[in-house]
Amino acid sequence: MHAVKRQMILGVTGILMMLVSSVCFGAGIPDKVTINSIQKYYAPVSFNHAAHINKLKDCGLCHHHTTGAQVADPNCARCHKNSGAQAVVSCKGCHTAEPFTPEALKQQRDQQPPIYHRDKPGLKAAYHISCLGCHEKMQGPTGCQDCHKRTDGGDAIFKSGKYAPKAPAKPKAAHH
Amino acid sequence: MIERRDFLKGCLACGVTAATVSVASGKAMAAGSFEGYPDAMGVLVDLTRCVGCRSCEAACNAEQKLPEPDLAFDDMSVFKEKRRTTEKAYTVVNKYQVATEETLFRKIQCNHCTEPACLSSCFVNAYTKTKEGAVIYNASVCVGCRNCMIACPFNIPAYSYSSPLNPLVKKCIFCYDTRLKDGKPPACVDICPQQVMTFGRRADLVKLGHDRIQANPAKYVDKLYGEKAVGGTSWMYLSSVDFDKVGFDGHIQNEPIISNVKDFLGFVPMVLSIWPALFTGVHLLATKNKDGHHDHEEGDHQ
Amino acid sequence: MKQFLTRNPGTQVIDSLRKDNDKGRPWTLMEKIFLGLTPQQYVSQAMGNPLNWIFAVIFLIGFPVLIGRYIFGLSWAVGDPYDNAWGLFLAFGLFGMVPLSSSGFQLGSAVEVFGRHDFEPIERLGILNGILGYFFAVVFLMVDLGQPWRLPYPMVVSWGPEAVLFLVAWHVATYLSVQAAETSTAFFEWMGWPAGKTFIKKMALGLAVAGIILSTLHQGALGALSTYAPGKVHPLWYSASFQWLYFFVSSLPGGLCMVIVVSTIALKTMGWRCDDIYKNSLSKLQIALAKGASMGLITYLTIRLIGIAHDNKWAYLATGWGAWWMVEIGFGVILSLVLLTAGIRNNSVTLVRMGAWTTIIGVVLNRLNVYMFTFNWQQGHVHIPPIREIIITVTVYSLYIVTYRAILYRWPILFKWKTRYSDYAVLEPKPVAIAEAEAASSK
Repeated sequence: MHAVKRQMILGVTGILMMLVSSVCFGAGIPDKVTINSIQKYYAPVSFNHAAHINKLKDCGLCHHHTTGAQVADPNCARCHKNSGAQAVVSCKGCHTAEPFTPEALKQQRDQQPPIYHRDKPGLKAAYHISCLGCHEKMQGPTGCQDCHKRTDGGDAIFKSGKYAPKAPAKPKAAHH
Repeated sequence: MIERRDFLKGCLACGVTAATVSVASGKAMAAGSFEGYPDAMGVLVDLTRCVGCRSCEAACNAEQKLPEPDLAFDDMSVFKEKRRTTEKAYTVVNKYQVATEETLFRKIQCNHCTEPACLSSCFVNAYTKTKEGAVIYNASVCVGCRNCMIACPFNIPAYSYSSPLNPLVKKCIFCYDTRLKDGKPPACVDICPQQVMTFGRRADLVKLGHDRIQANPAKYVDKLYGEKAVGGTSWMYLSSVDFDKVGFDGHIQNEPIISNVKDFLGFVPMVLSIWPALFTGVHLLATKNKDGHHDHEEGDHQ
Repeated sequence: MKQFLTRNPGTQVIDSLRKDNDKGRPWTLMEKIFLGLTPQQYVSQAMGNPLNWIFAVIFLIGFPVLIGRYIFGLSWAVGDPYDNAWGLFLAFGLFGMVPLSSSGFQLGSAVEVFGRHDFEPIERLGILNGILGYFFAVVFLMVDLGQPWRLPYPMVVSWGPEAVLFLVAWHVATYLSVQAAETSTAFFEWMGWPAGKTFIKKMALGLAVAGIILSTLHQGALGALSTYAPGKVHPLWYSASFQWLYFFVSSLPGGLCMVIVVSTIALKTMGWRCDDIYKNSLSKLQIALAKGASMGLITYLTIRLIGIAHDNKWAYLATGWGAWWMVEIGFGVILSLVLLTAGIRNNSVTLVRMGAWTTIIGVVLNRLNVYMFTFNWQQGHVHIPPIREIIITVTVYSLYIVTYRAILYRWPILFKWKTRYSDYAVLEPKPVAIAEAEAASSK
C-alpha cells in the first residue's frame, strides 16, 4: 500500500514539474507574428517565428540579451555582459516607431547620463537592418515585396503598377 | 617727356602693387567664421546601410508634389547610369560598384551647407539659411542668372529651363515648409526602411557620426564627409570606402565658398576710395604744361 | 556704299548740320539717316553690298530662333544644362565681349586723364566700341536670363550685396550711363544739340575717372565670378588668388587691340566716311596703341606664369589640357607679342594689325576656356552648345555689327563734324543768304 502511494506522488510531481517547466520555458513563444505596427505602403508581414527559431537557435541574434542569451557585440557587452532575460522582448518594446519626432529627439538628448543607446535605430530600421542583414548573408528573401506586398498606397507613391508613368519607356538622361 | 611718362608709369605700378599686396596678404579673418545656428538640424547618411530601394526618391516626389518621373521608382534600371538632381527630382540615388562583390549606394540631395555657396553667390538674396538648418529659396525674386548652379560645389540646384514664363531653381528644401519648420524629419528620412539617414541636431550628429565610426572602426572610413567640407554641411556622410570611389569630391575645400571671393570684394571699397584721388592726381601731373596751366583751363577743344 | 560713291562722284554724304557745305538749311533727321541719299538710292546701294546678303540670311534664320527662345522657353534654345549652367550667350556674349569693350575707359582716360590729346581721332571710336560692346553684352544677358524681365531686381527689388554678381550688375548699369554720356557728344553733334554736348564736356574728367574705377572693378569681378567654382575650372586657367587680376589685366590689351581691329576695318570698308585727320593719323595711333597693348600682354603673360608657379601647377602642362593652354597662350599672347613688338620696332602697321587680331582672339578664347570649354573638365567631356544656341549667338553678334556700322556711317566718329559749335552760343550766326531770304519773305 505504501509503495504504490509513493509511486503515485512521484509520478504526479514529475508530471507537474514538466507542465510547469513547459509553461515557463516554452508556452509564451509565438509561432507566427503579424508585424503591422507601422504599415502604410506595405501590407502587414506574416512572420514565421517558429521557422526562424528552428533555423537560428540563438535568440540573441535578434533579441539581443532580452531572452537570456549572451550578448556578442563588444560595444554592448561593455555594459550588458551580465544582463539576463528581460520582461520586454519584442522589438517594438524598445525600438520606437517614430524615432525622430521632436519629443523623441528631446528625450534622447535629455537622458542623464547621455551615453545610453544613443544610436538606437527606430522600429522600422531595427526590423530591416536585422532581417535584411541576415537574409543577405544567408540567401534569404531580400526584395521589398518578398516579405510584404505593396498596398495601393504603396503603388501610388512608387508610381508603379497602375500608377506607372505613361511617359516614354526609356529614361530621359539628365543633361550635363 | 620720357622721364615724366616713366614717373607716371611708376606711380601707377606702385599704386596697383600696393593695393594688391595689401589685399593678398590680409586674410579674411575680421569677419570670423559662422559655425551654424545652434539648433540647426542635420542628417547623418550612412552609405553602408543603403540598399538602393529608392523609397526616398518616391517619398520626395510625393511630398514636394513633383512632376511624374520618367520611370517608376521601383525601376532599378536607373542605376545603369549616374544621375544628378534635376528640375523633376530633388534627390537621386546612384549605385557604385566599389569592389567585385561590393556595391554602395549614395543618396544625393542638397547638403544644406552652413555657409552655402548658392546663398553667397545670389545677387537678389533668393536663398536663406533658416535657423532650423534648411537652405530655402525665394522664387519670387529669382532672376534666373544661375550663378548658384555654377557656385554649388555639389552641383545640386537644377533649373526648370523648360518653362517659358516662370523658370525657377529646383532643389531639396529639407521639407522645410511641410515638416522641418515643425521640427519633423523630411519625407525621405521618414520613409527609409534602413534608417540610412539619422535626423537630429547637426551638432549632435557630428558626435554620433564619430561615435559610430569608433564603435565599428573596421566598417567605416574614418571621416565624416561634410563635417568640414566647404565650411560644414548639415547633411553628412559615412562610408565604408574612400569617398572618391562613391562620387564625392575628395579634394573639396574646407573653407566656405564665399571665402574665395572675400578678398576681391574687400578690394572694392578700396578702389572706390583710392582711384578718384589717384587718377585725378595723375591727371594733374600729366597735363600741366610749360605755362603752368592745365589742359582744361585753356578752354575746350572742339 | 563705296561702289555707289565711286559711280556717283560728287554725292555729298552728310558730314555737317546743314546742306551745301553747312551753308544751307539744316538736314532733316530722315535725310541724316539716309546719309543724304534718297531712300531709293540708299536701299539700292545696300542691296549691292554682299555683306548685307549674308546678314539677311543670318537674320532670316536667326530672328525666328531668337523669338522661339522666348516663346518656348530657354530649354528650346540651350537644352537642360544643369552642370554647365552658363553657355555661349554668357561665355562669348558677356565674358568675351566685355574685355574687348574696355577701350571706352582706356581711350577716354588716355585723352582726359593723361592729357594725350593726340589720341583724339580714335577716342570716339574707342568709346563707341565700349558702349556697344557693353550694350550688346546686356542684350546677350537678356537672352540668357531665365526671367529677363526681372533684370532690375538686384537694383530695386531685392539686394544680395555679398554676391560678386551684385557688383557686376550695379557697375555695368552705372558704367553704361557713363559711357552713354561719353558717347552722347557725338550724338548731340549729329542731332544739332550743342547744349547737350557742352554739358557733357564739362564732366569729361569726372566721367573718365568714373570709367576707370568702374572698369577696374567689373573687369576684375568677371574673373572673380569663376572663383565661386574652384574645382570646376581647370587649374591652368584658375588662380584662387589672382583670377580677378588675370581678367582685368587681359582686358587692357583686349580693348586696345579691338580698337586697332575695328579702326582698320573702318578704314578699309568705310574709307569714304573717314576724314583726312583719321586716315593720316591712324597708323601712328595704332602703333601707339600697340605699345600699350604689348605692355599689357607681357604683364599678362607674367602673371599667368606666376599664378601657375604660386600653386605649383606645372605638372598640368604635360597633359592634354596643358597642350591646349599652350595653344591659347602661344597664339593669343606670345604670337601677339611678337607681331606687335615687331610692328612697333619696324614701324609696320600691318604687323601691328595682325597682332591685334591674334590678341582679341586670344582674349575671347581665354574667356571661353574659363567659362565653357574647361568648365567641369573633370567630368571628362567638353560641353558643346546645341545648334540653336549657336544660331542665336551669331544673330545677336551680327546685330551688334550692323548697329556698329549704322552708327559709324552716320555719327561723327570717324570724321569731324563740320559744324562748329562754340561753347556758349547755340549756333553760329545764321548764314547771310538765309537771313536775307527770311527778312525778304517776312516783309
